Amino acid sequence: MSAVLPRHRVNVLTGTKSARLIEDAAEYADFIKKAKRPLLVIGPLLLASTADGKLLLEYALDIAKAAGIPICATAQTKGKVVELGVKPDSVYDVVEIANALKDPEWQGVKKEGNHDLVILFGIRSDLGNQSLSTLKHFAPHLKTMTLCKHYFPHANYSLPNFKKDAKWQEFLESLIANLKKGD
Amino acid sequence: MAELKEITRKLEEIHRKIKAEIPWEPVGPTPMPEIPDLRQWDMRLLKTYAPFYAPFCDLCCFCTYGKCDLTEGRRGACGIDIATQQARFVLLACLMGCSAHAAHGGHILEFLIERHGPDKKIDLGTFIELEAPNIRTVVGLKPETLGDLQIALEYVFKEIAHLLDSCHTGQEGSALDYESKALHASMLDHVGMEVADIAQIVGFNYPTSVADTPLVDMGWGAIDKSKPVILVSGHNPATSTVLIDYLREHNLEDQVEVCGLCCTALETTRYSDKAKIVGPLSRALFFMRAGIADVIMTDEQCIRTDTPQEAAKVGSAVIACLDKAMYGLEDATDWDPDEIVRRMVDNKEQFAILDSPKAAEVAVKVAMEIAPKRKKEWLSEEEAIELAKKCTNCGICEQVCPNLFSIGDGITEVAKGNFDLIRQQFLQCIGCGKCEQECPRDVPIFRLMQVAAGNETWKCRAGRGPVMDTEIRNVGAPITLGTIPGIIALVGCSNYPDIDDIADMVDEFAKRKYIVVLTGCAAMVAGMKKDKDGLTVYEKYPPDFDAGGVVNIGSCVSNAHISGAAIKIANIFAALPLRGNYEVMADYVLNRVGACGVAWGAMSQKAASIGTGFNRLGVPVVLGPHSSKYRRLYLSRKEEDDWRVMDARKREIVDTVEPAPEHLAYVCETKEKAMPMIAKLCIRRNDTPQGRAVKLNHYISLYKKYIGAGLPEDIHLFVRRDPDIPLVYKKEVRAHLQEIGWQPREPIGLPTLIGTYATKVPLDAVIH
Repeated sequence: MSAVLPRHRVNVLTGTKSARLIEDAAEYADFIKKAKRPLLVIGPLLLASTADGKLLLEYALDIAKAAGIPICATAQTKGKVVELGVKPDSVYDVVEIANALKDPEWQGVKKEGNHDLVILFGIRSDLGNQSLSTLKHFAPHLKTMTLCKHYFPHANYSLPNFKKDAKWQEFLESLIANLKKGD
Repeated sequence: MAELKEITRKLEEIHRKIKAEIPWEPVGPTPMPEIPDLRQWDMRLLKTYAPFYAPFCDLCCFCTYGKCDLTEGRRGACGIDIATQQARFVLLACLMGCSAHAAHGGHILEFLIERHGPDKKIDLGTFIELEAPNIRTVVGLKPETLGDLQIALEYVFKEIAHLLDSCHTGQEGSALDYESKALHASMLDHVGMEVADIAQIVGFNYPTSVADTPLVDMGWGAIDKSKPVILVSGHNPATSTVLIDYLREHNLEDQVEVCGLCCTALETTRYSDKAKIVGPLSRALFFMRAGIADVIMTDEQCIRTDTPQEAAKVGSAVIACLDKAMYGLEDATDWDPDEIVRRMVDNKEQFAILDSPKAAEVAVKVAMEIAPKRKKEWLSEEEAIELAKKCTNCGICEQVCPNLFSIGDGITEVAKGNFDLIRQQFLQCIGCGKCEQECPRDVPIFRLMQVAAGNETWKCRAGRGPVMDTEIRNVGAPITLGTIPGIIALVGCSNYPDIDDIADMVDEFAKRKYIVVLTGCAAMVAGMKKDKDGLTVYEKYPPDFDAGGVVNIGSCVSNAHISGAAIKIANIFAALPLRGNYEVMADYVLNRVGACGVAWGAMSQKAASIGTGFNRLGVPVVLGPHSSKYRRLYLSRKEEDDWRVMDARKREIVDTVEPAPEHLAYVCETKEKAMPMIAKLCIRRNDTPQGRAVKLNHYISLYKKYIGAGLPEDIHLFVRRDPDIPLVYKKEVRAHLQEIGWQPREPIGLPTLIGTYATKVPLDAVIH
């Protein structure tokens, strides 16, 4: 299989272990459902809106709600999350949460044990990919996944580079529907 | 016994070099420290602020054993693991930075000693007696002449060789030890920078002991292109000051326009207020491609490597003036100047001329000869709209953009006659030119952006060099008590993620009566935004090192005056001896000087060493989001880490609970996040209740302004007792603290890390 290039070339992988590309929302949903203690890390890119006016953050909150995933809000994301009536389970910047996740003994945002699946959504792609690199190398006890519209080589599971935003939105909607289905 | 003799002999040698017999202060425990001498301090710092690695590559390709895959716990063929490899890379970056400044210092010193002799006295004016706080602290030498500066530099060069040696395959096997070496290299960087800038101030008669330096013109619109234009680019003023001298001697200063890019621009405006600043490195390619410069003189550091090719495209002449970058050009240093001029004019040849007076003469003659024949026209908006129509918005430009934005979107709008988006994008553009290189339709993206950017001009205050001793005496108490909430140092490159961010940060903190100091490209771009009254921050705020002041310290090498100011607080205000006493100075700064560095747009290896040098001195540094590509941060985990310190007055170890400062090297995702984080990183354990309340007032208010909802999650960690709570948030904070079961605790009288780890420094050394 030839290597998948990330959308942004600054994130081109120099290495051997790259993310598994997944396009099937049902498969993504299965990974999330199988996780015992998933965590959704949401970043400031979600404060933008889609072409049809939907706030990207709403997708994230719907996913969290559908699968009962705790949220970590990074940067200034917290303000809007609260405005939408949700209290984030934790507020760390992305390097801080990655730093905590590295520690297998950390008790996680719910104080119930470290997370086994970390989903990054809405982090600037260079910083996001670098944070995933930290987890790939120094947090072997957990898996990582991304929901952004680009391929992230340092994740365990990543979406492809969507050429059209509408296709990406379709994926997110399908993911939410699959998560709502239950087992 | 033999070992003891060797140590004694070595110490005697050091004492000889630093003229220990001159008793201006007793010699402390670490004059001219070598790699192991401050290692215990580093390890203590790294215990709380552990290295956080984000590998940029999974492989090592340094030697022919490789490439070696370092994923999943694998070690390379030499035995190195992924963390140690990252730390080795960081050390190499810091060494590049340190070497760039030290070699710059070495060159300028040689140049000035040739001009003035080694006995030229160092005199920084009436208000600066403590002329070289870094050199005095690290080296243990009080430099009195230019010749003395050579002693400091020889020490730096020797240490660089040892540190670089340690990067060789099959040596150091500990990430922490590589970090200690990176901290050492970066401390040396501040010595090298200090040598360079003191030499420049003394040798070129730059402003010193003065705050109110001239306001100089900035922006390409400020350049009179009807005159012959000479562009100086880089960092080393040996080229540009001699050029100015030549123009003055020949009464040509009003006939030839001199402008500069990057730090050379700042240096040149310290020498002549007629010189203009084009802008930071991100403006270099724009300006070169515009063809406004008749002659480009390059010196060193952060000059583009494609300068000869880009200049040739638009008919600008090029002279490479320093050996650091000779571009494969023929070395014409020994030639007759008129012969060089003839070949440059007639044949459009480019040359290296490593003799400043000759380079200046040739540059002026060539510029005056070719300027009248050259066309220097901007594109019109109408022409730009037509050219923009070639763009299909295929998206390739976005894929290669280091700042991750789609210029194709902006160009598509230009094709419709709308320049609003591309104007905004111009502020995010780092000026690398990769978009234009990849464009399948050959759209002249840079020329289009230049039309959009327009010809606006701004003001930048000329760099003023060291902070004055008198200023330190005035602000020492309020800084250490906390009533001046902090010193914010915006340093280094300025390109990422949006050029306006720097001016916004300066405005926000100056308005709140922090002391704001700037250097390098950050100092330029701070002036590249105007408020509603048309004023830049340099016109809006006073130039004093005092509450609410905005101070342009100078170029990259002037960063040593910022670390120097922190040391001066410990020495002048707190009266702690500094000679060979680095650990005590750093411990004081870490625990008691509320300073925070901000290298928001950092790109270079020099920024890595500048920042890491601040870290060893106990000053935290905030970086922009792209800086995760530096591979390493120093982060604590506030709720889990050990925040115990020694209370030197009571001589007992106390658990303060408070993470102050919380991190030493930290990446923020956005400006909005950075604002409260910078304020938080100015909190120190030494704050009085009044000072802490002032600092928390800003932390909470910035949090509410930029993040939004509620109080900062960690506010309880910084409230020791009720008087720490700012009046305006009293009710809200009290209610929150009650809800989470917060308990008051006593502030520390004299916090120090000395006594909490193995060190030769006695506890009494920190009591003043």
